[in-house]
Amino acid sequence: MNHPPESEYTQAEAYAPMEAAAADAVLALPDFPGFERRIWAELPCSHNGIDDSDYTSIEIDYEFSLENSGSDLVREAYTDALRDYWTSLGYEITDEYETERGDRVDRGLVVQREDGIVLWYRVVGIVSLTIQSGCVPVSDHGEIEYIPPTGGIEPGSENDLVEEYFPDGIPTDQAAAIDPFANAQAVGALVPFEAPGSYEDLL
Amino acid sequence: MSDMSWKDLRDLECANLRWVGESWKTYATAMVEQTERLRTDVVDGHLSIDNYESDTADTVREQIGLIGDRFEDDLSDYATIRVSTTMLETADALEAEQLELRELVGLIEDHDFEIEGDLHEYEVNPSAALHRAIWDLKPPEWLCDRVGIDRASAWYDLASQADALVHIKPVYDSAKELCGQYQDWLRAIMSRAHDADDDAAAALSAMKENPPELPPQFGATYDDLIDDYKTALTEEVAAEMEAIANGDTDMSPEQVNQWWEDLSDAEREALIAAHPEWVGPTDGIPTTARDTANRVLLDNEIDSLDDQIASIEAQLAGARGYDEGGSVDYDALQAELAALRQDRDDLASLQDQITDDEGNPATYDKTGQSYYLLGFGTEGSGQAIVSIGNPDTAANVNAYVPGTKADLGDASGGLMGRTETMARDAYKLDPGNETATILWLGYDAPDSVAPEAMQEEWAEGAAEDLESFTQGIRATGGEEPSNMTLTGHSYGTTVIGLAASSEGVDADNLILVASPGVTVDTADALGVESVYATTNDLDPIGWGSVHGADPTREAFGATEIESAPGGVSENNHSTYWNESNQTGRDAMAGVITGVAG
Repeated sequence: MNHPPESEYTQAEAYAPMEAAAADAVLALPDFPGFERRIWAELPCSHNGIDDSDYTSIEIDYEFSLENSGSDLVREAYTDALRDYWTSLGYEITDEYETERGDRVDRGLVVQREDGIVLWYRVVGIVSLTIQSGCVPVSDHGEIEYIPPTGGIEPGSENDLVEEYFPDGIPTDQAAAIDPFANAQAVGALVPFEAPGSYEDLL
Repeated sequence: MSDMSWKDLRDLECANLRWVGESWKTYATAMVEQTERLRTDVVDGHLSIDNYESDTADTVREQIGLIGDRFEDDLSDYATIRVSTTMLETADALEAEQLELRELVGLIEDHDFEIEGDLHEYEVNPSAALHRAIWDLKPPEWLCDRVGIDRASAWYDLASQADALVHIKPVYDSAKELCGQYQDWLRAIMSRAHDADDDAAAALSAMKENPPELPPQFGATYDDLIDDYKTALTEEVAAEMEAIANGDTDMSPEQVNQWWEDLSDAEREALIAAHPEWVGPTDGIPTTARDTANRVLLDNEIDSLDDQIASIEAQLAGARGYDEGGSVDYDALQAELAALRQDRDDLASLQDQITDDEGNPATYDKTGQSYYLLGFGTEGSGQAIVSIGNPDTAANVNAYVPGTKADLGDASGGLMGRTETMARDAYKLDPGNETATILWLGYDAPDSVAPEAMQEEWAEGAAEDLESFTQGIRATGGEEPSNMTLTGHSYGTTVIGLAASSEGVDADNLILVASPGVTVDTADALGVESVYATTNDLDPIGWGSVHGADPTREAFGATEIESAPGGVSENNHSTYWNESNQTGRDAMAGVITGVAG
């Protein structure tokens, strides 16, 4: 084959549904303490086993703080909550694993949506919700629009690690214009997340 | 070349070597105390300026100081760095191989095999007694177990004997297979032992070639000679550095590190400023110093390429005007220009990767670690050694060795993306202990799957450099050794395997990802404590290995890491860090951070 498999999105198009998926997942997490950091990163894609610079694989990470990463709520209850929630949405569980590491148990829960986006709840030293695009055609960075982070992270703050895509600074006018929940799906009976006035006691 | 036989190694008293090394170290320490007494009791005491004030007295005090300095330098250079460290390093290296050898010889004897052949090409074969037992249809219990048949319990146990007769070829093949594994292991042990022996011999003989200069004796020409001597002292450090960088001293990275640490701050700074081309690539020099030197070299190289490009552009412009069809080879110049522009672009991309907007070393913001440039080059496909985090101070070090088609351009592209991913994975797994993640493209990688990646010459070209690199990381890493992992992908595993089995690599773990073979048929032959291997079910590399046994085979003896493939329509050879393999990524990060499950 000459290229990675067909993707529903280009790189520039993929961020919105990926961010919406993250925001949607947050709604399924009771007593949500807030994320600490958001990261946009990329990995190489390959065809015929060789890296292909025309394609990229996006990874969006939402990390909990180290302190919250140690709580049973985040390590166990959220794994169960997301399993139930994603299953109820008809997402396919593609992997679920557990590893004992000394005095902690690490685990992972992975689902894939029909549009190819992968959601990975990763319970390790720092627990994160990772959203992966799979291989998508590379876009010029100028085409990539800023999308405000979910889960209580202040847009454009030092914990919003997307700077390399916006070297001239976070375009705050775009931040206001894009609704990260536009593609979110209904949450059913779960109580929507209400952001607290301050995260001071939580983070 | 070392003529040590396996019996020599087995019977070697490594403790004697270690005793010699320790004795020289103790001697050097005691002698330095004497020099200190000379300075305090004599120069600053009996002969102090309070007691003797004259030009002659100044000269005498200076002469004693210079002799003391020379004595200390030579104690450090010769007694400590060369003799003592060589002996101790050699004792450690040979003792490690001796331990493996004794274990292996026990297994060979237990299985009724024997060692034959030349000391550089040992063979392990079934003994005559084992041959006889097989032909008598009475193969030993262990061999029956390997083949899955019952051993005849008595001469009248005809059913078992008939089974042995039917399976006589598989029985032989099984015995030969095990012989082959032991042979690989033995050859790897002896290759590394010979390497250590040769390194020690070279380091000690190089010592004789550099007799130390002493200060001039008093006399009519003293004033002239002392100036020359002082000038020579200043130049001596640079000359030593040059000899080290060119490999003329045969010093190990540990010895280089000791030599570097013995220099004054001013000497080190002067070397970095005046000779970055010697400091930057040398294993054993601390990472921060190499990084500083290599960044200067990178700037210089880009400037040099700009000049060359401008020169060729000028030639081509001239050729268009006056030399069309004349003496200038237009096509050759165009090709040269394209190659130079490619190198220039690749180096500029590398520079952008490791430099921030203010021109300072950049930080990988996802882990908060700085980038360090440990080496680069444009030869062949190009080389780059870049670390995320300082390996000298990190608790864990992971060096990623990429494979076929890896090149300089990709060092700031996909290869760096994968390196950064591993850095993030390690950070998430163990945020309390720093992991330095290194892209080690310190070799000219094959440009094609066939024919180049089918050949071992690219790995052979890399083996010594990878050995030296791991030793350098150990030397600069301080007294608390890091948990060090070499992670190879594809042909990168062949590079690691060849280096580990022939030269020896100073690592705790090897992770062999999508391996086409590592040139030996057993993990034991790699001489590293923990060997992990992973190949997903849809990776075509699993259809047949080219450079030895598939390391994921149970018989190879590595611990297998599970890796999930991506889509069935994809070529899954390079998907090990992508969205299909979450389990594998966490497992690899667990090994790298030392919190494996």
